[in-house]
Amino acid sequence: MDLSWTAILEVFWTALVGAVLAGIVCPLLGCFLLVRRTTFYGIALPQFATAGVAFGFAVMPWWIAHVGIGGLDLLRAMEDTHATMNYHLAWAGLFTFGGLAGLLFLGRSGGSEIARVAAAFAVANAATILAMGASPAGEIYLESILMGEIITIGRHELETLAVVLLGTLLSIVVFHRDLLVVSYDRESAVVLGKRVVAFEVLLLVLTGATISVGVMTVGLVLLFGLLVLPPLAARGLARSMLGFYFWAGGIGFLDVVLGIFVSFRLDLPLGPAVVAVSAVSLATAFWVARIARRKRPSQGIEL
Amino acid sequence: MAAPRVQNLLLETAGAAFGYDERPVVQGVDLRVERGQFLGIVGPNGSGKTTLFRGLLGLVRPLAGSVVRHTSRIGYVPQREVLDPIYPLTVREVVQMGAYGRLRGWRALAPADRELAGACLARVGLAGRERALFSSLSGGQRQRALIARALMVRPELLLLDEPTSGVDTRAVRQILTLLGELARTEGLAILLVSHQLAMLRAEVPEALWVSERTVTRGPASEMLSPEGIERCFTSEPEDRETAWT
Repeated sequence: MDLSWTAILEVFWTALVGAVLAGIVCPLLGCFLLVRRTTFYGIALPQFATAGVAFGFAVMPWWIAHVGIGGLDLLRAMEDTHATMNYHLAWAGLFTFGGLAGLLFLGRSGGSEIARVAAAFAVANAATILAMGASPAGEIYLESILMGEIITIGRHELETLAVVLLGTLLSIVVFHRDLLVVSYDRESAVVLGKRVVAFEVLLLVLTGATISVGVMTVGLVLLFGLLVLPPLAARGLARSMLGFYFWAGGIGFLDVVLGIFVSFRLDLPLGPAVVAVSAVSLATAFWVARIARRKRPSQGIEL
Repeated sequence: MAAPRVQNLLLETAGAAFGYDERPVVQGVDLRVERGQFLGIVGPNGSGKTTLFRGLLGLVRPLAGSVVRHTSRIGYVPQREVLDPIYPLTVREVVQMGAYGRLRGWRALAPADRELAGACLARVGLAGRERALFSSLSGGQRQRALIARALMVRPELLLLDEPTSGVDTRAVRQILTLLGELARTEGLAILLVSHQLAMLRAEVPEALWVSERTVTRGPASEMLSPEGIERCFTSEPEDRETAWT
């Protein structure tokens, strides 16, 4: 791309700010998914959100005819970035929290959690494709979500993303000790007098909200990548829980900055470029951790 | 001015039954635990030791009867196997968790609590290991770190779930000696679940034998002797009660 960096910042600032915010906050949330051994939720739930958006597109003509989206007709609704985004966000949220509730409900009957999450992913993936088939108009938009093409996000999308991600960040900063003790040792948390269920619900709400909004704005690919890869890289390097959070947020931030650079230099889609950089970071972190482990053999850990 | 009256009775149950899905695993539990008492909870596998322990701790609601805890300062040491090593927690971070019950929201740990964490680690013989990863410690060291975490609560009542399982004989003796000291010198009431009958017999004054849904209390030296154990396995619960009360 021949644009100067100043021009790139001027034109694409919403996408860049959104990506950087996601680069810091999503890995922090991913830390909790990783240590609670629910990383697969970070893959299955965004797929539910995408299925929700696809379903929203499929029922959009009926919805406009019977309920309405800000008084817009179908053609204008397809072009509108505000009312329509809120409409799709509602569907993404409904499907994400519905999927989460379903997984938790099914989990009460025991069995393999990985198998349940894998099955949920397969179902959500198929539902996305079927709903896309029922909505040719939404297919292009959904493809951009699936491809992780975040470059076109508007100001309203950025504002929504910022509110949700900063809310998530603030909640993690304020309640990180409570979230940690409830996740690490639930029974001790009960004995310590912590409101265990409230903090578990808070974590689920933060996960659901971040994923719903993240899919709509930064896209599926980037969200998958940032929830999973930086925390995994950070786990190998961290020498304390506090260090784990800082490594994850720092690696996520650096991955996004480098990804943006690579994306514009090589004219590649931003989302996949960031994930590719994250993959390199992960490989590097594993290599560094392996060397460190040779020096401290007792610190090895099976992830 | 008269000194404030010290509450000696810390835990009390009357006719308590504990179980799951409305089915009692242990029942008719009448128990009084006072300051400075050190009790081992023993019995065959599947007899309901853990259910009783969880009931006393408040993790399982009684199906019948009552459980009254006269103190909120309860230290709990879980089985260390339930703590996932995937968490990159340092020993200091684990021990400081004991003070989380006193913290609200974003507030940082008070300097007094930081000092207490150091003192608790020193008390269990882990001074200088604060920055080590908890998952890198040996079984016995991890157990002692968890006891330090429980001491961070400034407990009056300490409950430990199998603190001696999976650790070597020397570590078992160290742990039981430490607990005995805490009961004697600091007046903590201590209940622990264990399978190490011979060790308990030497270090713990009293035992609760759990089997056939009943709980029998008696002196550990007699109850956990070879003859006592045989009597526990072969006699009817009522006869056991008569033998040790």
